[in-house]
Amino acid sequence: MFLEVKDLIKSYADNLPVLKKLNFQLQKGELLSFVGESGAGKSTFLKCLSGLEKIDGGEIILNGKIISSHNTFIPPQQRKISYVFQDYALFPHLNIRENICFNLDIKFNSNFDSVVSLTNLKSILNRYPHEISGGEQQRACIARSIIREPDLLLLDEPFSNLDSNIKHQVRDEICNIVKKTKTTTILVTHDINDALNISDKILVFKAGVVQQFSNPTTMYCKPANCYCAEILGDINKLSIGKKTFYIRPENIKIVKHSKLSMNAKKCFFQGKDYKIIGLYNNNIWSVFSKEPIKINSKVCFEYLEEDLIYFDKGCSNFFTE
Amino acid sequence: MNTFKKNEKFAFLIFGIIFFPILFLVFTSFFSETESLVYVFENLLLDYSSSTFKLIIITSVFSLILGIIPAWYVSNFRFYGRSIIDVLLFLPLSIPTYIMAFTYAEILSFTGPLKIKADFLQLEILGIILSFSLFPYIYAVSRISFSLMGSKFINMGKILGLSVYKSFFKIIIPLSKPAIFSGLFLVIMEVLNEYGAVKYFGVNTYTIGIFRTWNSMNDTGAAIQLSSILLFIVAFLFFIEKKINKKKLFSYLKNSNPIELINSTINQKLLIYLACLIPIIFSFFIPVLFNISNVIDNFDKIDISNLLQLTINSVSISLISSIIILVVSVYFLFNERFSNSKIYFYINQFISLGYSIPGAVIALAIIIYFTSIDKNIDSINLLGNFYVYLFILIYAYLIRFMAVGKSPIKSGFEKLPKTYDLTAESLGLKRFKIFQKIYLPVNKLSFVSALILVFIDLMKELPIILILRPFNFDTLATQTYEFAIEEMLPLSSIYSLVIIFVCSILLIIFKNIISRINVSRS
Repeated sequence: MFLEVKDLIKSYADNLPVLKKLNFQLQKGELLSFVGESGAGKSTFLKCLSGLEKIDGGEIILNGKIISSHNTFIPPQQRKISYVFQDYALFPHLNIRENICFNLDIKFNSNFDSVVSLTNLKSILNRYPHEISGGEQQRACIARSIIREPDLLLLDEPFSNLDSNIKHQVRDEICNIVKKTKTTTILVTHDINDALNISDKILVFKAGVVQQFSNPTTMYCKPANCYCAEILGDINKLSIGKKTFYIRPENIKIVKHSKLSMNAKKCFFQGKDYKIIGLYNNNIWSVFSKEPIKINSKVCFEYLEEDLIYFDKGCSNFFTE
Repeated sequence: MNTFKKNEKFAFLIFGIIFFPILFLVFTSFFSETESLVYVFENLLLDYSSSTFKLIIITSVFSLILGIIPAWYVSNFRFYGRSIIDVLLFLPLSIPTYIMAFTYAEILSFTGPLKIKADFLQLEILGIILSFSLFPYIYAVSRISFSLMGSKFINMGKILGLSVYKSFFKIIIPLSKPAIFSGLFLVIMEVLNEYGAVKYFGVNTYTIGIFRTWNSMNDTGAAIQLSSILLFIVAFLFFIEKKINKKKLFSYLKNSNPIELINSTINQKLLIYLACLIPIIFSFFIPVLFNISNVIDNFDKIDISNLLQLTINSVSISLISSIIILVVSVYFLFNERFSNSKIYFYINQFISLGYSIPGAVIALAIIIYFTSIDKNIDSINLLGNFYVYLFILIYAYLIRFMAVGKSPIKSGFEKLPKTYDLTAESLGLKRFKIFQKIYLPVNKLSFVSALILVFIDLMKELPIILILRPFNFDTLATQTYEFAIEEMLPLSSIYSLVIIFVCSILLIIFKNIISRINVSRS
């Protein structure tokens, strides 16, 4: 494995662990999305990987070399890890060319032309960071990172400062760049759509614990628990016998007649369809309809049994240990 | 709309009245007849220029070293006594440059404890001594700049392979250049303004030249022309400072992460204490202890009633002037905030220039201005009246120190979103009510800090009060100077100590206020 994180523990001064025995592995060139809520410890995790924070337990092995453990700490300057901060951190006193080449080892100088062409920065090399757009700043940061041929590229919420109209374009460009350069990448995000669209693997993280680590398809179709199911989109709860199942709204079909029905409480227009919120067996459900539905009217529906999701371990809580 | 115009006209009138003497001085310089100007130009100008330039260079270099290095350590490293050292590094600002110079002159003299004969290095030694008093300007701006920068760029430097020390030279210093230069600008202005210390050390700067041509050579024309030369130099430096500081606009955007303090190793601790304690010991403890020892030795010679009277004089003139300066500064800044016209903006820019004009030049300008009024109107004799002198003293302070009062108020106003004004106006409040109900309570700490800063500067001020004080009106500053000039330095120590004590207390209060403002903003 190219990157191995084993039983990683990180606590702050109040002794509450932010990361509790984190485990996962990545192959060379894979793109992992690290998904979690704000304040969950995502940035702390990146800082542990990059060496900006020391770890309190476990081991991080990159390219066959231990870079952090209880008795080893390779300083950030000596790790071959690049980091793109949420707010870019381009040096404002340097132009884009100088930023890209900042403290660059002479052996990487030959990468300059290809990186600039890959990131499409040629026309703005002599401009200063405040003179270019957010998307261009983002690409400049990526260029500064990949020109050094890092073993690992860390992207901390790189799209959060971008307008929604350019966000997708920048995201796809960055994905193309890291794939073309075969750079192993960890993308920290709270936006599950980013993770689903561009990742090879997704790691869902909450309360310091990995909730699920898998590829995007498995993540969506077979979520490990309620939390994972919920962050990937709306999910409805239903009881059959003594068991509790879950089903996604897109797998529920609205029909004219059925044994199953719910009472519509709200109806929102979403562009391509309407989202109906209603009550079914005292659970709040959401379904999609092509037509608007009157409030308090009866909505009949059906579903396929194979679309039901069942969690063996129950779903009152997500994993905490 | 008409009210708007009226307000602007009134503001322009006030501004014109305040700064007219300076314009009058420049105007007069083109027409004044002089006998000794040729002599001054041929024999003294080169000496004045080279001495001033050398003194500026030496003071600047030492102020930069003494200011930036401790600011870097205090901003970035965790060590025992960090907060106290942070306060102590501001305190040399409470010691006026002339007191620092008199004290060290005594310490280094034959009669002093060190008995070092260094007559041949007068200018160089004076440069270092001035930097002891002036380095806190650099320390203060660097400290703010390093803290505002946050940890983002330092972390990026680490990721890109830079050591902590390399980050300092490759990232921190270039990013802090505008801030450091604004501190350095203040240091240079203070050197150009300096009179007491340079006179005592016999260094011929422009200010000395102005005093000499005016008083000793009795040639007002030459003094006016020298003042004009100095004004042009200052205006040029002011223009450069404004140009460099334009870069501030992009320097610290989005740096929201506070600096993560580094745990220092034993070697680093040693360096840190060395870098921080040397300036504190030389710039604060030695002068204070030396003056205390002088006071103890000469305790029986202290004229308590005179001391009390001079303290009352100093405090009252400084307090009255500070309040007037505060009111006028707030008037212009508040109107700039609400007016669509650029006139207030230009007025406020010009006010900033005031602090750059050396006190001697301002004093000369005002004297010439009032003398010409006296000459042209036979029926009045303004300069024969004690209260007119008090008035013109405050007038001169207003020209020079409005810039000092302006900056904390300006930064306080800038933190208020424009939407506050719009909301208040939409709720039917008039300008004065908006000021009373919103600006005054929200910015009260900024107003107090402005008042303190101006008060400290006025307590320490020497050249203006030396020229413009009314007959028989002395202050702690003038008394200190007179004893020193009359080679009775030990007797001046008690007056120096009162200035240092009052200013130190106020500086500590000021530092606390700034911390409270920062806490409430964060």
